[in-house]
Amino acid sequence: MILLVILIPVIAGVLLFLIPFKKRSQMEVFLEALVIINSILVWYLLFHRPAEIFTLANFTGNLSISFKVDGMSMVFGGLVSALWPFATLYAFEYMTKEEHEKVFFMFYTMTYGVTLGISLAANLLTMYFFYELLTLVTVPLVMHTLTREAILASRKYLYYSLGGAAFAFIGLIFVIIYGSTTNFVLGGVMDLTKIGERTNVLLLIYVMAFAGFGVKAAIFPFNSWLPDAGVAPTPVTALLHAVAVVKSGAFAIIRLTYYSFGTEFLKGTWAQTIVMLITMFTIVYGCSRAIKETHLKRRLAYSTISNLSYILFGVTIMTPLGMAGALTHLVFHAVMKISSFFCAGAIMHQTGRHYVHELDGMGYKMPAVFGIFTVSAFALMGVPGLAGFVSKWYLASAAVESGNVIAFFGIGCLLISALLTAIYMLTIVGRGFFPQRDFDMASLEGIKDPNWKMLLPLFVFTFCIAIFGLYSGPLVNFFTSVAAGVY
Amino acid sequence: MHYIILSIFFPVLFGVFLLVRKEMEHRKNLLIAVSIAFIISALLTILALCLSGNGMFTLFNLAGRLPVLFKIDEISIIFASMTLIIYICAGVYSFVYMKHEEKEKRYYGFYLIVLGILIALCFAGNLITFYFFYELLTISSVPLVMHNRSREAIMAGLKYLFYSLCGAYMVLFGLYFVERYGNTLTFSAGGVISASAAAEHGEILLVLAMLMLIGFGVKAGMFPMHAWLPTAHPVAPAPASAVLSAVIVKAGVLAIVRVIYYIYGVSFLRGTWVQTAFMVLSLTTVFMGSMLAYREPVLKKRLAYSTVSQLSYILFGLAVMDAGSVAGGLLHVLSHGFIKAALFLCAGAVIYMTGKTRVDQLKGIGKEMPFIMWCFTIASLGLIGIPPTGGFLSKWYLAEGALSSGICGFSWIGPVVLLISALLTAGYLLPVVIQGFFPGEDYDYGALQKKEPPLFMTIPVLILTVLSVLIGLFPEWLLNYLSQIIEKII
Repeated sequence: MILLVILIPVIAGVLLFLIPFKKRSQMEVFLEALVIINSILVWYLLFHRPAEIFTLANFTGNLSISFKVDGMSMVFGGLVSALWPFATLYAFEYMTKEEHEKVFFMFYTMTYGVTLGISLAANLLTMYFFYELLTLVTVPLVMHTLTREAILASRKYLYYSLGGAAFAFIGLIFVIIYGSTTNFVLGGVMDLTKIGERTNVLLLIYVMAFAGFGVKAAIFPFNSWLPDAGVAPTPVTALLHAVAVVKSGAFAIIRLTYYSFGTEFLKGTWAQTIVMLITMFTIVYGCSRAIKETHLKRRLAYSTISNLSYILFGVTIMTPLGMAGALTHLVFHAVMKISSFFCAGAIMHQTGRHYVHELDGMGYKMPAVFGIFTVSAFALMGVPGLAGFVSKWYLASAAVESGNVIAFFGIGCLLISALLTAIYMLTIVGRGFFPQRDFDMASLEGIKDPNWKMLLPLFVFTFCIAIFGLYSGPLVNFFTSVAAGVY
Repeated sequence: MHYIILSIFFPVLFGVFLLVRKEMEHRKNLLIAVSIAFIISALLTILALCLSGNGMFTLFNLAGRLPVLFKIDEISIIFASMTLIIYICAGVYSFVYMKHEEKEKRYYGFYLIVLGILIALCFAGNLITFYFFYELLTISSVPLVMHNRSREAIMAGLKYLFYSLCGAYMVLFGLYFVERYGNTLTFSAGGVISASAAAEHGEILLVLAMLMLIGFGVKAGMFPMHAWLPTAHPVAPAPASAVLSAVIVKAGVLAIVRVIYYIYGVSFLRGTWVQTAFMVLSLTTVFMGSMLAYREPVLKKRLAYSTVSQLSYILFGLAVMDAGSVAGGLLHVLSHGFIKAALFLCAGAVIYMTGKTRVDQLKGIGKEMPFIMWCFTIASLGLIGIPPTGGFLSKWYLAEGALSSGICGFSWIGPVVLLISALLTAGYLLPVVIQGFFPGEDYDYGALQKKEPPLFMTIPVLILTVLSVLIGLFPEWLLNYLSQIIEKII
């Protein structure tokens, strides 16, 4: 069953390439149906979890490729499988203006399976395997337009990711040697008797592995691939570079911190201080760069960099509450950011405009898209009643609870970043709805909202943002119990 | 209970309805709809005030421990009734005034939304609810500032937005900690900080108190975050500047009342460095605002600087934490509200009829528009603090409270600064009046035309002016009411 949900998208991708569809609509129906079926299967799997580990292949010793559904997998797998059908629907409409659709959809769908592989992995080795695969299947997506810019961006993405994975690999080896097992166990698997005097070495290795997985989560100074990768078509930037790929990085770091090294081993050490400072710096850095950026998608990409570090900040607090806060932001940010990216994509698709200063008066021509963009902007900056406020609240109250003074300053960083977010998002909204008096509205003739395939996902996400903001109790309780190890 | 919800959501929903419906472009439809909305929201709010009693009412839980909760207490009654009166006066006034601006539909839409949010702020029963609506207030009042879409207005709107958000985030910082260290976030007279938390985390709680005061002080135009106010208020259409300057800034004052007296509590803050710092900041603002107003040539900007200064009178009264000064502060909330709304509406009437904005253009304006300028004069006297107006009474109590508080130094520095500022107030308001009525001998009486504005503009101004005087003439009832509040919180 676990293997099935990972394989269906991969096979579907290959089939898509091989079957000669007569019409585009046939391909759309085929693909959308498979993606939806797979998502249903995933959700079924999450609610009827097999208790034992499923081992596919056993290498020497305790190295194996094996899968298990635990709390973290439920969060990440559930998130990914909820978003994918909508993103695919959106991609159908968006890709009408791009070439080589088939190749695109092949890799796009295969990524689904690989991401699920990461979320369902039961040990560090399996996760590492899918993590590398993820890099490989997403490179063609970044390269898609085959312009010089795209090729350079994908090359950069490849080198950064592989380099990061190499560092993470070192961490893997040390966990194999000094841990009692490589399986994920909440609380860590480190064997203190084996470590003995070598605590500092292991802490150093932890920081290295953190940075290694952090490449995908775009921590400073390994962030520059993410804005560049924005040359990819918007469904890729929205789903992969705001959710699936970058959050795999965050997911891997949670696994590394809470399930492999263990918070007991790490908490209060210099390693915690260093990684926390890195995330705090990235939070502010990403936002500041976003303000400076005039290209809409690049601006959102920098915003992603900053928000990913919110999640990692929650992780580095290293308390169950901190992890719950991180998970909350992991899910809520996914919805908010995919919504704003899809709006940006809709604008590009309908008008071909890419820069912020070209958006004057657009709010009157595309009221639905701009209205939704406004909601996602408010949510990102943390207006109460929307999702961002709640997740920020849990992150901050975890920081207060921990009593760690650096974490107090971290709250300050979160709030500075909230202000900067307001600046870079609301200037766009302001332009859209309040063009200057002498602006010539006639220059926007013929621009209108996109069709339902683009709008439906947007409305669904906006609805989710509001629901998460107004009534998030059950969901957050679930995250808290995941962090407490109930699942 | 239902009336609380209705009085908040009716204006908001009606405003949204105005924004989205096309047929409201037609001016007559729009005005009828808006008048009906005003009447219904006024009725609903009055019903809410009369019938709701002292019960608490939880709407829903935002997340975990964060209930959205409404409660009506005496402070709510004072602020809500002031809001309602000024709001409707300025609203009626805009029926005529907004003729010479475009996009009226959008103006009334946001005007009504802001009304609902202001009422919600008055009725908010805990800090979370308050913060929720406080942030919404900032966002929904920006379109009023940006209304005429000139480059200046848009920049001013953004400045307002970012200053206010900056303040709000400073508050949020404190909120995270208060939620953890306090017993509850529900406003309760005397404060919610438990003795054990105060002993254990006293220092950090004080730092956060200062942050929250400065953060909420942004809305109330307190130094060092006052700079947005003189930029943003004058660029809005006159009735919008009136409500911005008279009512919306009072949300900041209300917030500070809630933080000092209902969250931290007097016993926790009295005598600490926070109190001292807050007094210094408010006195600085009083003086600085008056000075800046004194040298400002544009009338509406001058009035905005005056708001900066006058609001800090209130804040100083709250900072002293003495029964008399708090009474003075709360009285000044009312009298400054009525006076400043009247002054802005007068300035708007001058702009509407003559297009003149600078003080030096206003020679002889009293001959052209005698009625409006009489109201302007009476309101000015009130702001300076000349008996028997409301302004005199509130400043009297402020000074008396400061003198009797016995805080070393401030008990006399405070009244002195207030007096100097009163002098400056006379200095920046009276020349307008004097030039207006006594244009000098080179004034050309031959070209004089009567330019009195229509009744829809004069009557609101008249009502506000009369109210500002009435507070001074018949204060007993109000003072009794205030002393009841103060007994509870000090």
